[in-house]
Amino acid sequence: MSKNISINIEHVTRVEGHGNIILNVRKGNIEKIEWQVSEAPRFFEVMLKGRNYWEVQPITSRICGICSIGHSLASLKAVEDAFGIKISEQTNALRHLAINAENMQSHILHIGYLTAPDLFGVGSVIPLAESKHRDTLLKIVKLHRLANEMSDLICGRTIHPLTLIIGGFSKIPSRKQLLELKKRLIKDRETLREVASAIRKVSDKLPDFKRETEYIALSTDVEYALYDGDITSTDTGRFKDHRRYRDIIEEYIVPQSTAKYAKHNRESYMVGALARFNINSRQLSSNALDIADLFELKPICYNPFMNTIAQLVEVMHNIDDSIIWIDKLVDDGLKEEKPVDFKVREGRGVGIVEVPRGLLIHDYTFDKKGRCIKANCIIPTNQNHANIQKDMEAFVPTILDKTKKEIELSLEMLVRAYDPCISCSTHYLNIDFKET
Amino acid sequence: MKPKVAFFDFASCEGCELQVADLEEELLDLIEIVEVVSFREIMKEHSNNYDIAIVEGSIIRPIDEKRLKKIRRIAKTLVAFGACATIGGVNKIRNPWQPEEVIKEVYGDIDFKDNEFFNVSKAKAVDEVVKVDYYIYGCPPPREEIKKVIIALVMGKKPDIPNYPVCVECKKNENICLFELGKFCLGPIARAGCNAICPTNGRACDGCRGILSEPDTKCVEDILKRYNLTYEEMKHRFTIFNYTLEEDR
Amino acid sequence: MESSIKKMNREDWADFINNLINNSTYEVIGVKAKGKRFIFAPLESADELRLDYDTTILPPKKYFLPQYENLLSFDLSKQSVNIEMKEEKRIIIGVHPYDIIALQQMDKVYFDTYIDRFYKIRRENTIIIGSNILNVSERSFATSMKAHTVTSGYDLMVTDIGSSIIIEIGTERGKKLMERYATNITDATEAEIKKIEEIVESIESKDRKLKVDKENIPNLLKRNYEHPIWRELSEKCLQCSSCTIVCPTCYCFDIRDEVSLDLQGKRIRTWDGCLLPDFTRIASGEVFRKDKTERFRHRFYRKGLYIPERYNFIACIGCGRCSIACIPDIAGPFNVINKIAEDSEETRGEIIFEIPVTRGGEEETAYIPRNGIIRRIEKLTEFEKLFEIELEDSIDFNYQPGQFVEVSILGVGEAPISISSPPIKKGSFELVVRRVGNVTNKLHTLREGDKIGIRGPFGRGFDVKKFEGKNLIFVAGGIGIIPMRSLISFILDDSNRDRYGIVTILYGSKTPRDILFMDEIKEWEKKEDVIVKLTVDTCPEGICWDGCIGLVTSLFPEVKWQDIENTVAIVIGPPVMYKFVIKCLDTIGVKEENIYVSLERRMKCGIGKCGHCQINGIYVCKEGPVFNYTEIKDLPEAFE
Repeated sequence: MSKNISINIEHVTRVEGHGNIILNVRKGNIEKIEWQVSEAPRFFEVMLKGRNYWEVQPITSRICGICSIGHSLASLKAVEDAFGIKISEQTNALRHLAINAENMQSHILHIGYLTAPDLFGVGSVIPLAESKHRDTLLKIVKLHRLANEMSDLICGRTIHPLTLIIGGFSKIPSRKQLLELKKRLIKDRETLREVASAIRKVSDKLPDFKRETEYIALSTDVEYALYDGDITSTDTGRFKDHRRYRDIIEEYIVPQSTAKYAKHNRESYMVGALARFNINSRQLSSNALDIADLFELKPICYNPFMNTIAQLVEVMHNIDDSIIWIDKLVDDGLKEEKPVDFKVREGRGVGIVEVPRGLLIHDYTFDKKGRCIKANCIIPTNQNHANIQKDMEAFVPTILDKTKKEIELSLEMLVRAYDPCISCSTHYLNIDFKET
Repeated sequence: MKPKVAFFDFASCEGCELQVADLEEELLDLIEIVEVVSFREIMKEHSNNYDIAIVEGSIIRPIDEKRLKKIRRIAKTLVAFGACATIGGVNKIRNPWQPEEVIKEVYGDIDFKDNEFFNVSKAKAVDEVVKVDYYIYGCPPPREEIKKVIIALVMGKKPDIPNYPVCVECKKNENICLFELGKFCLGPIARAGCNAICPTNGRACDGCRGILSEPDTKCVEDILKRYNLTYEEMKHRFTIFNYTLEEDR
Repeated sequence: MESSIKKMNREDWADFINNLINNSTYEVIGVKAKGKRFIFAPLESADELRLDYDTTILPPKKYFLPQYENLLSFDLSKQSVNIEMKEEKRIIIGVHPYDIIALQQMDKVYFDTYIDRFYKIRRENTIIIGSNILNVSERSFATSMKAHTVTSGYDLMVTDIGSSIIIEIGTERGKKLMERYATNITDATEAEIKKIEEIVESIESKDRKLKVDKENIPNLLKRNYEHPIWRELSEKCLQCSSCTIVCPTCYCFDIRDEVSLDLQGKRIRTWDGCLLPDFTRIASGEVFRKDKTERFRHRFYRKGLYIPERYNFIACIGCGRCSIACIPDIAGPFNVINKIAEDSEETRGEIIFEIPVTRGGEEETAYIPRNGIIRRIEKLTEFEKLFEIELEDSIDFNYQPGQFVEVSILGVGEAPISISSPPIKKGSFELVVRRVGNVTNKLHTLREGDKIGIRGPFGRGFDVKKFEGKNLIFVAGGIGIIPMRSLISFILDDSNRDRYGIVTILYGSKTPRDILFMDEIKEWEKKEDVIVKLTVDTCPEGICWDGCIGLVTSLFPEVKWQDIENTVAIVIGPPVMYKFVIKCLDTIGVKEENIYVSLERRMKCGIGKCGHCQINGIYVCKEGPVFNYTEIKDLPEAFE
């Protein structure tokens, strides 16, 4: 085949943040495949220079609008780790609800607004509103609204949460409100099933592509790990020391990206819903596993396009899990608790959570006055950029026989499948601040 | 004829645009009164034919300034959307440092001379580069306000954005004043319009919608003394979203 | 005779409350704890009720004048208006005497001249169960304001004397409530009634004492308009208006239109505060109380002088809420009055404040505009258009020259516009509108046949009877000619002309292009004993103008003035003009009591309630916009 193709997709649409896809093929030979990250770096590390420990969470929350709850939780965990703060059971339960709400909200946004249009053959959700799929769209919107109102209730606000503070919550929901939420969650399980069925009808459009990959996610014995857990790799197993995460994650810079790349056992690895599914699927609720069965999704799945389906599975699990936590809170009785008392001290703390897109790490070091002198964050999408590049390199040869338009769409779908959060990923690096 | 609206984002967390998607069912109402011709986060389609440009994010690189100026030439009305675009927001916290210092700190000694992705300057609000017609303040702006401004633009009237402090809304909500609880809150000098959502949730106001006017030093000294708060805490409070004040001092 | 003072034991009292909550059709509101403060809120059970509270964050006024209140709803796609007045039946338990007095004060205001229907319905549907003060708030001085006890204004008044609850019956309604929902009620004994007195006395002794008798407050303020304390304290003022929001006797409000994405909308009334810089701002951008010190001082004068002059009560009941709410701690009247009283011998700036007498009335209002159809539109200049309006309903629309209407455009808002046509032609009237803000700009886009809302006519217009037999001088600056035209056309109309003397019209505009009603002016000039002099500030190049150039004051020497003792002058123009014109009138010999002005301020409600249009304590929408010069010449805020 002596095909010449030149593809330059600037600012891929329906992803969070700015990235470009470059593909140059001359006479059938692939000259260049590049996933470029052009997002403006915002230099959060510099922003944290010398800031007080209580200011770190509101600033790092602004790294990302979609996963601001996740960043806030990782940030708070890191501070609590540094100062030896142990949160109460009630706080733990509420934080689990918060992380579930965020997972649901982000996944539904990704499945419904960012990915589904490709499966339904339209440019965005807006034409879906006029099409025969309007019903499905309204159900997706309903689920999104539920997830948003859940995070409004627990966190005060979905984007840039308000009630999450060091050692506790500044305001908690009432028993009445939690019971009303539970009713809605139970009811909307059915809505989710209907959406899953509708997507199943078009999910064959997802390319059947496989590339053996290493997957990394948190895991724990007690639950499907999102809020707490140990870093686990499909290649090397569980790693217990959370402060030595650098032994696993190795970051490096490439010129085509303002975001860093990462590797561990191989040249790249993947994080996110598919990684979590591949490692922890047996801990999912039975309703969630039913949805996995509907799509024939089984561990270990090496098809990155199935990340979206893994997200759908997780949403059902989040609903079931939330109901359990609400029951626990209501049975134990909600109490007005003051945030845990603590003493500011010199030291380092690391907070790790699973946000919708994957493993997130916040690492801070404080001086004896509680000011941040060193900061590092490992963002999920950072860790995925290398994998996207490698996947593209393996994927393109398999679709070279298609039309230019089809190749463009397939490449975009590949990037979208990762649900990248590009604005988050463009700044974190190890930083040593000079003492001020 | 429905006005054509396009959304753009620069250096931001995209939370403002997410707020638009978070209008849920009302998003479908929104597209009844305007035609959204470009919204990169949720739409593939893009058109360079728009009347109203809604711009999120700060401007931090020459390539961004170029892109913004092109948008200003095309749009009849340009709206700055969110704290980063209206007042610089968190992006400005790093402005005291020179761009070279900042790059070196973050990326090390790598030479990015010709790479325009990395050519950064001080973070700027949108109106420091082009003329802005209307502002939607907040981090993130409340959904009600986004709707209010778009509806006002469609109806041809000037949006009614408050120029009074958060205290007005906080007191109407009957919150206990955070000063009484020993916390320092920027409410008395921060712009309202958010229904005092932070104090209502137990968190002191950080002024993410902008500061109305700097308070008299006399006034501040007295307050700090009465509530046993430190000047440093107050100074730091300002700088999270409103770094310009700090720079002018 | 059956005693009206009863008693119950604590359990029966709790049962009574629980019975009200669970079995009555009332929403039961009571005082409950919120953190370490207290608020009025719906009670879920009797044990939430805290009669031992010192004071609440917000007063019960929020149940009668809500923070956000829906005046009317509309559908823009259908241009239809819907008024819904919910009759919420409530019981409020635990209202302290000072708050009861505050409500009685609010009654006087809201039932004055234009009775506010919303407020009225709420008052009628709310049962007040008062509670004597048991714990004095740190900042209270209610005793000095004679507001720590009250003998009326409640359906029941409760005193928790420890061993039991004593209940004084205030109304038949209160009595019936007890009979229906309470059990084991007996008459209170002498000893128990004495206990109430003891409790009240102990409050009196704990309360802070003002250094002056409350009746002297207005006098004190009259003599201290320039006291240094106003500047001293206002320097620390953050302009947050917390003081007015928490105050039981503050009731100024703003009205805004809000529209949702489905084109449904509401006209909302919400609390506003005179401390806020934009309180007096009008669409053209002018602000009438610019200085922070002026605004700070205004609040004290409103409560201590203007309202007392108008309604005969001091609009402060000493609850101390403003003190507690004020972060720099400068809002409390206690310290301010005491400080001024200290130097009570000196006079530091006097203010003479008298309210002009205007008509009363018992009309009820619900802020509903009448439908008006635009019959004719005429473009006069680049910025001004003439609209002829005919009201859709057949109800009479009688007005005087000088009055104004509130023009309502659903979804945009309301704007006060002077009526520009004389009250001669029945069936329609004319408005000449300059486009400056949202409403006027929107109005300019409308077409003949479109509908707008009209409320009014409002204000005190020109009393044309007083002008009969007199010579008249009309001095108009800029758009001042618009309301002036109504009066001039009336005077010069053939049916009226012979009742008035020589008419002199002096009219100044910015440029020749800005002159309004030129054709009519030419007709006026033709009439007998009518002198017209026009001038412009400047004449841009290329425009033909052979008249005077200069300010309107430069026209005075151009006229041979006759019979000045028998001459009345009417002046309408931009704020800066008045001082100079009045000087000219004085120079030519016009007596002060023969000068009339029409002033502009921000008029929102049009009926003397929302507070925005105040010149010191005078409402421009009610006592004006037309004033006799002597009525306002000494008012500090009247002229720049």
